[in-house]
Amino acid sequence: MGLRVSVDPDECVGHGRCYEIAPDVFRADDHGHSVVISAHVADALADVARQAAAACPEEAIAISER
Amino acid sequence: MSQYDAKAESKAGFNPFDTAVAQNPHAHFKRLRDEAPVSGSPPPFQNFVLSRYEDVRWALKHPELFSSSADAVPIGQDRPLIPLQIDPPEHAKYRRLLDPLFSPKALSVMEDDARKLVNEIIDRFVDDETVDFHAAFAVPVPCTLFLRLMGLPQDHLEQFLTWKDQILRADAGLDDPIENHKASAAIRRDTGKAIYEYFAAAIAARRQDPTDDMLTYLVNAEIEGRRLTDEEVLDVCFLFILAGLDTVTASLDCMMARLAGHAEERRALVEDPSLTVGAVEELLRHETPVTGILRVTTEPVVRHDVEMKEHAIVTCLLHAANMDEREFPDPETVDFRREPNRHIALGAGPHRCLGSHLARLELRVALEEFHRRIPDYALVPGVTLEYTAGIRQVSPLPLVIRPAGTVGGGN
Repeated sequence: MGLRVSVDPDECVGHGRCYEIAPDVFRADDHGHSVVISAHVADALADVARQAAAACPEEAIAISER
Repeated sequence: MSQYDAKAESKAGFNPFDTAVAQNPHAHFKRLRDEAPVSGSPPPFQNFVLSRYEDVRWALKHPELFSSSADAVPIGQDRPLIPLQIDPPEHAKYRRLLDPLFSPKALSVMEDDARKLVNEIIDRFVDDETVDFHAAFAVPVPCTLFLRLMGLPQDHLEQFLTWKDQILRADAGLDDPIENHKASAAIRRDTGKAIYEYFAAAIAARRQDPTDDMLTYLVNAEIEGRRLTDEEVLDVCFLFILAGLDTVTASLDCMMARLAGHAEERRALVEDPSLTVGAVEELLRHETPVTGILRVTTEPVVRHDVEMKEHAIVTCLLHAANMDEREFPDPETVDFRREPNRHIALGAGPHRCLGSHLARLELRVALEEFHRRIPDYALVPGVTLEYTAGIRQVSPLPLVIRPAGTVGGGN
């Protein structure tokens, strides 16, 4: 199982909620916008990745089960 | 159907920036959301207020319909404030340049410095029995850090505070509404001129003698292969003063006023400082220090059967949006572990607060250090707090304090 995550760079405006909540899944680039550390999220990080996605005010994070 | 019964609120229509509303905003905002999600002053409607989370977020994410141009907020500036009053696509060029200055990575190097500064400020009053938190802490913390970041002398602090208040609070102390408007416009114009002159000199000095501060970065910054003009650097600096100082002061005021009145929330932070990150987000949501932000319609826009005409001023009530039960279950409850909490206290869409990561760092460090040094505090008994409308400061905010290690300090 596990998850696939992606951040839509056109929607992300750098709130930073996701990398605050899930720093092992998302990180900030030099502009403070979010990038995924790895598109494939391990089971152990699945819950926190979902929490981070739900906290995005821009709805810029897509999550799918894989 | 959705026209708001303005008379119920006041003769001039509901004014979300009214002082009375500011004392008890949640009840007013709930009525707005439920009864008139697009409210307007009486016909002919020129001004509108959006209050539901989805509507506010939608407006902020559609700058092609809701412009952030200088028409929305004339406050003494010669030219548009950069990047706030520049619309996309031009806006993105400036944000690409400025975002790296305020990215979490760039700011992480100043966390230790901020922590040291906060402790120095606490040292000044920690042995007193009472303190006006607003004047002694909430004002100097962001302003001192701003001067350090910009590379400006600390002894200019008082000058900056005066300028900021003259621009943002020019109405204070003036009674007559019409004279008031003329007088405050004149104060803003004169202050704007003084700020431009001050920064023109500072910019010239950096061009001559570059250092490693933010002002030097701006002076050397390039946009599409050319350097920023002096005017552009000025316009950025002008915005930094207006946006960076009052808002963090107000955030600190609102947060500490809340915590001082809710001992169980204060104790939770003292016992588990790791809750501070969540507390900053939740208190930003519940208190929303910047009540609302203004936009101008670029064409007629219809929402909830109400037509907002072209060139209408639209207030996006961030505070009302953040208290919307359609988005936040049980919005009145303060929960430092709230999930999800996609509040928009720092805006949304392309103009999302440029300094948000700096603000968060300042707020987190301030709350961590204050609670470590002074775990026990409360409002001075009998005091009624007064919130200013708009940017919600609480001055004075008198606290009885008992520092850590005090005998009988208990909880």
